[in-house]
Amino acid sequence: MRVLTALVFTLAWLSCTIALAAEELSWDDLIPPGYEEPMPAPQTAHALSGMGEMIDESGDPAVQLNPAAPVVAELDGRDVRLPGYVVPLDLSEGRVVEFLLVPYFGACIHVPPPPSNQIVHVISSEGIELDTLYQPFWISGPMRVQSVESELATAGYRISASRIEPYVY
Amino acid sequence: MYLLRLSFGSLANRRFSALLTMLAIALSVALLLGVERIRTEARASFANTISGTDLIVGARSGSVQLLLYSVFRIGNATNNISWESYQRISNHPRVDWAIPVSLGDSHRGFKVMGTDARYFEHFRFGRGQSLGFAEGTVFDDLYQAVVGADVARDLGYKPGDEIVLSHGTGSVSFVDHADKPFRVSGILARTGTPVDRTVHISLAGMQAIHLGWDSGMPARGGRQVSADDARKVDLTPGSVTAVLLGLDSRIATFAVQRDINQYRAEPLLAILPGVALQELWSLLGTAEKALLLVSSCVVLTGLIGMLTAVLAGLNERRREMAILRSVGARPMHVFGLLLSEALVLTVAGIACGLLILYAALGLARPWLLDHYGLFIAIQAPASREWLLLGAILLASVLMGCIPAWRAYRLSLNDGLTIRI
Repeated sequence: MRVLTALVFTLAWLSCTIALAAEELSWDDLIPPGYEEPMPAPQTAHALSGMGEMIDESGDPAVQLNPAAPVVAELDGRDVRLPGYVVPLDLSEGRVVEFLLVPYFGACIHVPPPPSNQIVHVISSEGIELDTLYQPFWISGPMRVQSVESELATAGYRISASRIEPYVY
Repeated sequence: MYLLRLSFGSLANRRFSALLTMLAIALSVALLLGVERIRTEARASFANTISGTDLIVGARSGSVQLLLYSVFRIGNATNNISWESYQRISNHPRVDWAIPVSLGDSHRGFKVMGTDARYFEHFRFGRGQSLGFAEGTVFDDLYQAVVGADVARDLGYKPGDEIVLSHGTGSVSFVDHADKPFRVSGILARTGTPVDRTVHISLAGMQAIHLGWDSGMPARGGRQVSADDARKVDLTPGSVTAVLLGLDSRIATFAVQRDINQYRAEPLLAILPGVALQELWSLLGTAEKALLLVSSCVVLTGLIGMLTAVLAGLNERRREMAILRSVGARPMHVFGLLLSEALVLTVAGIACGLLILYAALGLARPWLLDHYGLFIAIQAPASREWLLLGAILLASVLMGCIPAWRAYRLSLNDGLTIRI
């Protein structure tokens, strides 16, 4: 009996450590240390995004394209856990199976969208109910980092979610 | 078991009121499950209509409206977007593919959509499924059309058939494009989405049938352009209704969306289909909850009706109880008899309600598909529906306790002699 109890406790402890093995990240961890946003040239509020000009009548699009924001390459392959809000991309049987994870809810139209290193592309097989997206979630799973090769390539983070749980304050 | 047999027999003796009570429960169950079924199926059907499209671009309006008219063919566009804007958007460095969509005409009530070959290549629905052809191929001539599965089935079209498009989106139009008939080049495989109910033609074809329409009506006399002459004219469209975009990276979605929304030459709106769908859900959520509440109340009314019928019958059945007591039934048996009666009524009501539900769904299915583009799959009740049925059964058992308790008390008091 005692052996059995010990075994149960060991198993519980093991499963706890496995669950906790995912490294908890904050959104700041996704920005390389020491990186500072380049100061934007003084512009009207409408043009702050810079990229907004790209499809405008004036200017050469390729020149004005901001290079993708830098990423932290060391995070590649690590098991991470990150909280955020879900922006649905693709649904399967009413559940969101592909989405973008962002640090805040809703689009603020006064400033440009978050840079590419503050957006995580998540793919999940179990999915999330579309009705529940007003609340934040913890997303856990292995992280992949695509580094910048050229100015036109896209850098970014991607998590294959193995676990999704509601974020509790 | 003999209790059940007794309650069956007792109910059979009062079959008319029992049947009515059961029918009331059956109808309320059918209503509750019907509301639940249509709710979930509508959601699934909406969610299955588009997949893999990162952004939808249209004239500036609301995100839900743009989603509805560009993908679900519900409602109308507020405006078109210019061809120049379309070209600029499709040349955006982040854009992998751009599908132009031009709406506004119809063929016998089916919407006509002008697009190009990229639509058949890149459009995805369901879980990333692409469009397939049941017969024929993509249009490669100016006057060729690809029809959806429902169009072909309802109107009996085969590749090679000639069709005439009408102006406007009504089921009948009194202004036809009869001078420029189209030929069916292909029939799409069934998708269970609004694509099945669409006639697809090329953008140039859409332009050709509207040559000489500058005054808002067909050209007359010398300004008429014949079908063959139209081939010699420059058929670059002046505008499109919406553009479906696929990007090279999903992370770039927000940046491209902002670029398009900030485009200065023309007011444009770019939406993420998933986000617009979510907005639509939250909009419909309140109405859905209200419907569910109302139909739950109807079920409650049905159960109270049963309670009333059983309670009202109690006084008349005191003799029945006395006879049961005289042959050795205990008061507890009387309690069980009344409870099983409520249970039998409810179970029969639920079974009958399911029957009504499936019959109604079977009958309403083609109509829902025709009028609302809503595809309802006939399948066994889902787990949530079983849960609802379980709740109904539980409620009926709780309610059944009331007359059962009363009958128990009465039979204790009365024994074999009835004092009224």
